[in-house]
Amino acid sequence: MVGNKATATAVKLARVQVASAFPVTPQTTITEYLSDMVANGELDAEFVNVEGELSSHVVVQAASRVGARTFVCTSGPGQLYMHHPMHQTSDNRLPVVMATVHRGNKGMMPDHTDLMSQLWTGWMQFYVEHNQEALDTCLMSYKIAEDERVRLPIAFGYDGYVLSYTAEPVEIPDQKDVDDWLPPYKAMPSILPDEVLPENLGGRWDRSDPQKRWQEHHEAIVNAKDVIVEVNESYGKKFGRSYGNGLTEEYRTEGAEAVLVAMGSLTGTARAAIDRLRDDGLNVGLVKLRCFLPFPKEDFQEIGKKVGAIGMIDRNVCLGHGGAAYTQIRNAIYDLEERPSVLEFIAGMGGKEVRVDDIYKIGKKTLKAAKSGGVSTSTEWV
Amino acid sequence: MIGIRIHGRGGQGAVTASRLLADASFRDGKFSQAIPMYGTERRGAPLVAYVRIDDVRVRERELVHEPDVVIVLDPLLSKEQSVASGLKKGGLLILNSKLPPEKVEIAGDIKIATVDATKIALETLKRPITNTAILGAFSKSVGYPTMESIEKSIRKQFPGRVGEMNIAAIHRSYEEVTPVVQATHTEPVVEESDIAVGGYGVLKDVSSWRVFTPIIDLDKCTGCRSCWLFCPETAIQWKDDRPEIEYHKCKGCGICVEECPVKCIAFERVVV
Amino acid sequence: MSERINRLQIPMEELTITPGSACQGCGAALAARLVFKAIGPNAIRHRIPCCPDSTTAHPSANSVFESGGAMLTGTWRGLKAIGRTDVQVVGFFGDGGTYDIGFQSLSAAAERNENIWVITKDNEAYMNTGNQRSGATPIFARTSTTPVGSVIKGKQMRKKKIAKIFAAHGIPYIATTSVGYPEDLIAKINYGKTVEGFKMLIIQSPCPVGWRYDGSKTIAMARLGVQTGIWPLFEIIDGEKFKLNYKPRELKPVTEYLKPQARFRHLTDENISLIQEDTAKEWETLLKSDELGRVLL
Repeated sequence: MVGNKATATAVKLARVQVASAFPVTPQTTITEYLSDMVANGELDAEFVNVEGELSSHVVVQAASRVGARTFVCTSGPGQLYMHHPMHQTSDNRLPVVMATVHRGNKGMMPDHTDLMSQLWTGWMQFYVEHNQEALDTCLMSYKIAEDERVRLPIAFGYDGYVLSYTAEPVEIPDQKDVDDWLPPYKAMPSILPDEVLPENLGGRWDRSDPQKRWQEHHEAIVNAKDVIVEVNESYGKKFGRSYGNGLTEEYRTEGAEAVLVAMGSLTGTARAAIDRLRDDGLNVGLVKLRCFLPFPKEDFQEIGKKVGAIGMIDRNVCLGHGGAAYTQIRNAIYDLEERPSVLEFIAGMGGKEVRVDDIYKIGKKTLKAAKSGGVSTSTEWV
Repeated sequence: MIGIRIHGRGGQGAVTASRLLADASFRDGKFSQAIPMYGTERRGAPLVAYVRIDDVRVRERELVHEPDVVIVLDPLLSKEQSVASGLKKGGLLILNSKLPPEKVEIAGDIKIATVDATKIALETLKRPITNTAILGAFSKSVGYPTMESIEKSIRKQFPGRVGEMNIAAIHRSYEEVTPVVQATHTEPVVEESDIAVGGYGVLKDVSSWRVFTPIIDLDKCTGCRSCWLFCPETAIQWKDDRPEIEYHKCKGCGICVEECPVKCIAFERVVV
Repeated sequence: MSERINRLQIPMEELTITPGSACQGCGAALAARLVFKAIGPNAIRHRIPCCPDSTTAHPSANSVFESGGAMLTGTWRGLKAIGRTDVQVVGFFGDGGTYDIGFQSLSAAAERNENIWVITKDNEAYMNTGNQRSGATPIFARTSTTPVGSVIKGKQMRKKKIAKIFAAHGIPYIATTSVGYPEDLIAKINYGKTVEGFKMLIIQSPCPVGWRYDGSKTIAMARLGVQTGIWPLFEIIDGEKFKLNYKPRELKPVTEYLKPQARFRHLTDENISLIQEDTAKEWETLLKSDELGRVLL
């Protein structure tokens, strides 16, 4: 099953009630799968064909507000086009779930700059490794986003082409099990005329402290970590699959002197590289950074205590700043008394192929830094 | 440095008054800063503007929280806002009012001067725009900026005939402003509260927006409902087949006066 | 088509929460009051940025400026999904959100024939930001972005014929109305409430601050607009059936409408005759449409 089919299947399993999307490569086939499902009566949902991504986003935003479970998906330029209403969706604390099929901002091929450009919109962000994880993350996203302690939208991203059009085995959960695990969604607070609270009539708002909305929103995202961990665990119990602690996932880190950190589909290639490094007697492990927002700061502080160097492979670059995850990891370990070196590698931009051998070399470099203890601040473009 | 706060309503030119004061002060060799209210302005809605005047360049960007002088462009504003709020001890309140300062019901260790700027504006400009009319009173009571500089600033802002009409207004207010006297009233009539500014949403009482007030002569009323029907603010209730004005909702737009087919609604200037 | 009502049939119940923050004599504040009286309480009111009019006692939903049509669509589809199709979905937008920035998403919603209300209070410029020109600003009008300069004087382009543009989408109902004619306005909402699909009402809402006349004359200005033929009152069903709702024996000259508004103060005789010719030509088309019962462009 290709990545886009896995996502569409999850949307069906989640019994999404309103979905909307505008076709954009490489997301397009999701819109076709969903249209088919609705046309054939497999999915009892309103699928709204709109005239652009901005409208697709606002359609699900409004539908979520009245109490429908919603789904929207896009790629690259479409993601950029819907930037404006994304702020409103999160500000209104609406649990919309979005799939971003990565397409970089320079060209058709994947990198993470489309979703990374949305860092300031107040959404939670996941980056997934394979098609099974796309399906599982989609289902988990509804559970996390709709949790009354969270009530925030989630975007999960997976690399266009590399996953969207690549077929691999995917296990599909039983509809009945999903129904047991994922209860129906109810809007909160209700805006139906017979349910709305009198104080919410007329759309009045408190203007006394304009900064309060920002603070509460920020804290809500940070505090969502507990719920993410909880949902990952309960998903594992119900369906037999979970991903590390839900935020990060470690691979062969036992006794590692250095670790690499990867996001999205590069993680799979990195696993193969780690195996080779270990085979060659090099003690390098891997951490998959799965949840980027909220950033799992504490996880990296724990890892930072155990290793001499961290090599971050970013498939994004904030031009003039550097890799987004690299910056966050360095920030996280600053509080440690003894800090490991953190190396910045930028790879796979514009869809540039990243091979096992490339990551093998990154691993060796990171290990060398761990042994020498030097702190490198230079960026390496792989 | 002195800080000034100007209270007015959308359409009365409080922001222009702040700019003219700052501009005239600069012409007198001072440094100055004119800060408009942050937000949206609605005609008739209360708003504030601020001015700082100093001998050196003004650097701070916060609002003027403890002004030395407060100017009130609208006679009714002091009824709904604590216009003397934050005014420094011994500070000066310049009020647009018909009343002499001794009769002004504002308490505190402050000084007060009054001028009937609405009357001056109606006579010189033919419209109740009181922003320039009060500037002459300011120059006289505070001692600066000079009238020459204010004139120059006005000519720059309003070239031609409109400028000359405004200059006539500042000279009249310079002459007609009362002497500055110590406030004698003791009981504060308005509760200390935040200075409400315009914007969106529902308000409590807009009585003070009115320059003119509609008064219905029920004896002449034929019960046609026009006044009720066309009031944008539902200020006219229809009770027992007769209109009844809820004055706290009336902004004094005059639509009811205009629409009454038998002309039974008078429109009278609000006198304070 | 709408059925005429008289003044006594206008609902007495007020659904606005007043006093609001609109300017003195605001035409749009009155438009909101009249519209929501007729809509009744069982509705969700949708907002995009616009000049404040009247707050009403309805649950409120808002979104980004450019998204009116999509927002209404989402609410309607969401209500369908949860089985609450009894609730009316009403957008109350300004001319900017209808003619300009919101046009694309409204056009798409019209094409999909979503079961929604789009109600536009047309004050012929971006009044919320202080009177900048819009696609609804009439030719030659002075706004802060079409100033009266020494070389160019006022707006040089005509107003979009928005009602006909939306009618061309084949939507079930579109009508123009005016705050000067509340009976007409409410009759049209009453009719629209019986129609399933995309319903649209364009309301002439004079703005004393932007149009520069005394606020007490708002209704007078609205009436003059209609009586001079500059703002005709009509309705179009299914993009085809046409009715002209106000047909005086003779139109007043356009100067009666233009002269009291300072936004037109600079107009030359030539400008005025162009407006008069435009108006007469359009009026002739409307009369012919009315006779045929079929809209002509």
